[in-house]
Amino acid sequence: MYSQSQNSVYKSGDKTSPISVILVSSGSRGNKLLFRYPFQRVAEYPSSLTAKQRNPYALNTAGDGLEDQDGDSRYKLCLIFLLKRFSDIILSTILATKSDMCGKKFELKIDNVRFVGHPTLLQHPPVSKTDPSPKREMPTMILFNVVFALRTNADPSVISCMHNLSRRIAIALQHEERRCQYLTREAKLMLAAQDEITTMTEMDGSPQSPFRQILPKCKLARDLKEAYDSLCTTGVVRLHINNWLEVSFCLPHKIHRIGSNYIPPEALERSLKAIRPYHALLLLESEKALLSQLPLDCSPAMVRLIKTSSAMKNLQQLAQDADLALLQIFQIAAHLVYWGKAIIIYPLCENNVYMLSPHANISLYSPLAEHFTQHFPGYDLPSMLAKFSLPVSLAEFRNPLEAPAQEAYLIQMVVWMLQHHLLIQLHTYVCLLVPPSEEEPGLRDEDLPLAARVGGRSLSTPSALSFGSPTSSDDMTLTSPSMDNSSAELLPGGDSPLNKRMTETLLASLSEHERQVILNIPAAQNPEDLRMFARLLHYFRGHHHLEEIMYNENMRRSQLKTLLDKFRSVLVVTNHEDPIISIFQSPME
Amino acid sequence: NVSSCECIFFSEFHPTLGPKITYQVPEEYISRELFDTVQVYIITKPELQNKLITVTAMGKKLIGCPVCIEHKKYSRNALLFNLGLVCDAQTNTCALEPIVKKLSGYLTTLELESGFISKEESKHKLLPIMSTLLEELNATGACTLPIDESNTIHLKLIQLRKDPPIVQEYDVPVFTQCKDHFIKSQWDLTTQQILPYIDGFRHIQKISAEADVELNLVRIAVQNLLYYGVVTLVSIFQYSNVYCTTPKVQSLIDDKSIQEECLNYVTKQGHKRASLRDVFQLYCGLSPGTTVRDLCSRYSLQLQNVDERRLIQFGLMKSLIRRLQKYPVKVIRDERSRPPRLYTGCHSYDEICCKTGITYKELDERLENDSNIVICWK
Repeated sequence: MYSQSQNSVYKSGDKTSPISVILVSSGSRGNKLLFRYPFQRVAEYPSSLTAKQRNPYALNTAGDGLEDQDGDSRYKLCLIFLLKRFSDIILSTILATKSDMCGKKFELKIDNVRFVGHPTLLQHPPVSKTDPSPKREMPTMILFNVVFALRTNADPSVISCMHNLSRRIAIALQHEERRCQYLTREAKLMLAAQDEITTMTEMDGSPQSPFRQILPKCKLARDLKEAYDSLCTTGVVRLHINNWLEVSFCLPHKIHRIGSNYIPPEALERSLKAIRPYHALLLLESEKALLSQLPLDCSPAMVRLIKTSSAMKNLQQLAQDADLALLQIFQIAAHLVYWGKAIIIYPLCENNVYMLSPHANISLYSPLAEHFTQHFPGYDLPSMLAKFSLPVSLAEFRNPLEAPAQEAYLIQMVVWMLQHHLLIQLHTYVCLLVPPSEEEPGLRDEDLPLAARVGGRSLSTPSALSFGSPTSSDDMTLTSPSMDNSSAELLPGGDSPLNKRMTETLLASLSEHERQVILNIPAAQNPEDLRMFARLLHYFRGHHHLEEIMYNENMRRSQLKTLLDKFRSVLVVTNHEDPIISIFQSPME
Repeated sequence: NVSSCECIFFSEFHPTLGPKITYQVPEEYISRELFDTVQVYIITKPELQNKLITVTAMGKKLIGCPVCIEHKKYSRNALLFNLGLVCDAQTNTCALEPIVKKLSGYLTTLELESGFISKEESKHKLLPIMSTLLEELNATGACTLPIDESNTIHLKLIQLRKDPPIVQEYDVPVFTQCKDHFIKSQWDLTTQQILPYIDGFRHIQKISAEADVELNLVRIAVQNLLYYGVVTLVSIFQYSNVYCTTPKVQSLIDDKSIQEECLNYVTKQGHKRASLRDVFQLYCGLSPGTTVRDLCSRYSLQLQNVDERRLIQFGLMKSLIRRLQKYPVKVIRDERSRPPRLYTGCHSYDEICCKTGITYKELDERLENDSNIVICWK
C-alpha cells in the first residue's frame, strides 16, 4: 500500500540522484538539444513490443552506466521511461528558455519529472577585422542551459543543490566561450554527430543513439556524463571544463549519510554555526589520504590545519598549534565537515562518556564489522560495541591494567567507532527546579520556565559585570578557588557590598519562593558557594553541559561537581547527547 | 489561507491575438511580462497537452494543465485553453496539482457537452466561478460549485503526508488525541474492529489475537491510522524495560504547552495534579542500566501522583525519552554450526520474543549463560 523504502540503502540514495542531465541551446539555428545522458539505445526491446515494432527509445536492459542492484535498475528503468515520453525536440523547446529567464534559477515540473537549471546568456565580444588571431567563426548560440531532470518528490534542498551545480557549470562554460568559443565548438561537434547518425539511420535503417557517438568526440559530453555518474554514486563532482577550469561540487545528501538516513543540509549548517572553541575536529580519513585529495593550489592554512589536527585537541588549541586565527579554523573546519571529510566531536579525554548510538549498525554481517577486523586484527566489532551498551568513560574502557601499547590501541578503536558513527558521547545537563511551595498549592512558580523570568538579560555577560563593578583584583580573589572562608569581606550575613549585589542578582531572576528555598540550603550559608551558585545560575536551564560550564567559567570539574552536589536539593541532573553535534552520530529522521 | 493560492487564471489561444489571459482573479495579478515569459508552458505544443505543468518565474509558480480540443467548428480547427493557479515560488504546490487536473477535466467536459467555453454567453460565467473557487479554496480547502443542470464542480485539497513507517508486530499503537474524539463510522470495518484494543499497551500481535483479525490486516489498518496522525507507535511496556532521556527532555521545562499536556496526561486518576519537579525528576531518573522497576523503588515519593505507565507512554510519544533495546549477537561459533538467524545484532529482544513466543525471562536465561553471545543495548 505504501512504499516500503526503508530497507534498501540504495533506494533512499535514489531520492537524491538525478534522472538525467541535458544540455540545450538556443540561437540563430533555433532550439537544439545538444546532449543528454543517460541515453537510450536499441539492442533488445521489451518483450511487450512485437518484433515488428522498432522503438528507438527502447532500453538496453544491461544498462548504460546504470548501477545494477536488484530493484534499483528496474526502478531506474521506470524513470528513464518517464523521460522517454519527452522527445528531443520538445525537450529543446521547453528547456531552451527565453532570454528573460536567463541568469536565474529555472524550475519546471511536467507530470512526474522536475527540471532544474540555470539558463545562461552568451555575450560575444565584437570580432575585430584586423584581429591576427586564428579565424574565429561567427557564433550563433545565444543562450544555453545545463538541466538536471529529477524525480518529482526530490527534496527542495536537493533541487537547490542541483541548481547550484548547473549554475557553476554554466559560469565555467560562459567563461570558456568568451575566451575561446569552447561551447560553440563543442556544440558543433555534438550537432554534427547527431546529423551523421540521422543520415546513417535513414540509409541502413539501424537506429542508434547519436549521443553515444558524441561521447568519444566531445570532452564536454564526457564531463556532463561524469557529473551525472558522480551525482548518482559518491555525490562528489570534480570537473575540468576544457581541461582548464575546475568545477567542484558536493551533494551533501549523498555525503552525509548514516545508514539510510541523510543529514539535511540545513541541519548541518545549524550545527556548524553553533560549534564552540571547546569542540574538536575529527578527520574521517587519514591525514595522508586527505592531503593527497587537495588541489595543488589549495590554501596552506588548510594543509597546516590537517597536519596539526587531532581528536584530542580542541579548536582553540588547534588554532594555537596551527598558528591560525580561531575564526579561520572555524571556517576551514566547516568546509571540511561540509565536504564530508571531518565531523565535530568533543575532544577525547579521560572523562568522556560514550554509549552506543541508537543508529549504530551492530549487525554481525555488516561491511563495518569486516573493516573493523581488518583494521584491528583479533578483535570483532560486536564484542567491542557491547562494551558500550552501558555508558562507559574513556578511562574505564581503556583499562589501565593493560600495557600502554594496548591502551593506545583501544583509544584508536574509539576514534574508529566515532568516525563510523557508532558512538554518541553523553554529557551532563543541569536544571534548577525548586520543590514547590507547600502552603499555596495553587502557586505555580516552579512551572514558569526560568528562561521566561530571566528575560532579556544577557546571559553571556562575564562574571565581573554581573556584580556591578568591583575592582578587578577583588573579582579575581573572589572567584579564585583557593580563597579561604576566613576573608573578612565574606562573612556570612555580612553587609559587604558584594554580598548585597549577589543577593540582588538572585532576586532579579528568581521568584521569592525560590530564593527562600535556596537560601535555606545549608551550603548557601557559605558565601563563596552561594556566590558561585548564583554566578552559574543561568547555566541551570538544561541547555549547557558541564564541559561548557567548565570552559566558560574556567572551573575544574571537581569544583563544579562539588557545588552541584551541595545544591542537589534544588537541581535535577540528566545525561544525554549534545544536540548541537549529535547529528553526526544520530541524524534526525 | 488553506491553499496558499494567490490567483486563478484562464488562458486561451485567441484566433487572431494568439496566447492570452482571458480572465484572471484577482485582476491584473499576472503581469504582461510574466505571461510573455511563461506562455510557452501555458498554451503549449501538442506534446505537452494534458500534462500537469508547473513553471517558476519572477517569484511565482504557475500550475496548469493545457487542454486541446480538436474540431472543425473551431477557427484553426482546435480550441486551446488552460485554467491554472498561481502561488508564491516558495510554496509547495503538490497538493494543488490534482485540483488543476480535475478542473481541466471539468472544463473539457463542459465544452464537449455544451460548448461552455467556445460560446461567449457561457464563457463569461467563468469569471464568477473562478472568483468563488479562489475564495473557497483559500478559506476551507474545499469547493462545491454547481455550473449548470448537469455539472457540479467538487474540489478538495488533500494534504500529502509522509509515508508512514512499516508497522511491526511488536509495535504498540497509541492514540495521539483523546480516543473519545474518534468517530468510528468514518473508518473501515477492520479499523473499527480493532479499535477497542488500541489502548497504548497492546502490541500488534496481541491486538490481532484478541480482536480476531489477521495480523497483516491489523498492520495495514494501523499503518493507515499512522498516516493520518491518529496514532503513533511506542514500544511494549514492561517493568524490566530500560529507557534514557533525549535532548528533547528539556522541552518539558522550556515549553509550557508540553508541560501542561504532560502533567495532565501522567497524573493518576483522581489524584492531586503531579508537580513538574516530580515528573522531571522521574524522567531524568531514567538512564541506561535502570529499569522501570528500579525507578519505581527509588522514586516512590515522586510516583505518588504519577501513573508510571502513562509517564513512559507520554515520554515516548513526545520523544522525551527513548527505549534501549537489547540485541543479542553471536560472535563466536565453530565452523560447523549454522550461521545465526536471529542473534545477528539486527533483531531486538522485543522482536525475537514476539516471533518465537518465548518470554524475556526465558530468553535472558538462555543467553546469559552462553559465552558465545554478547548483548548490545541501543
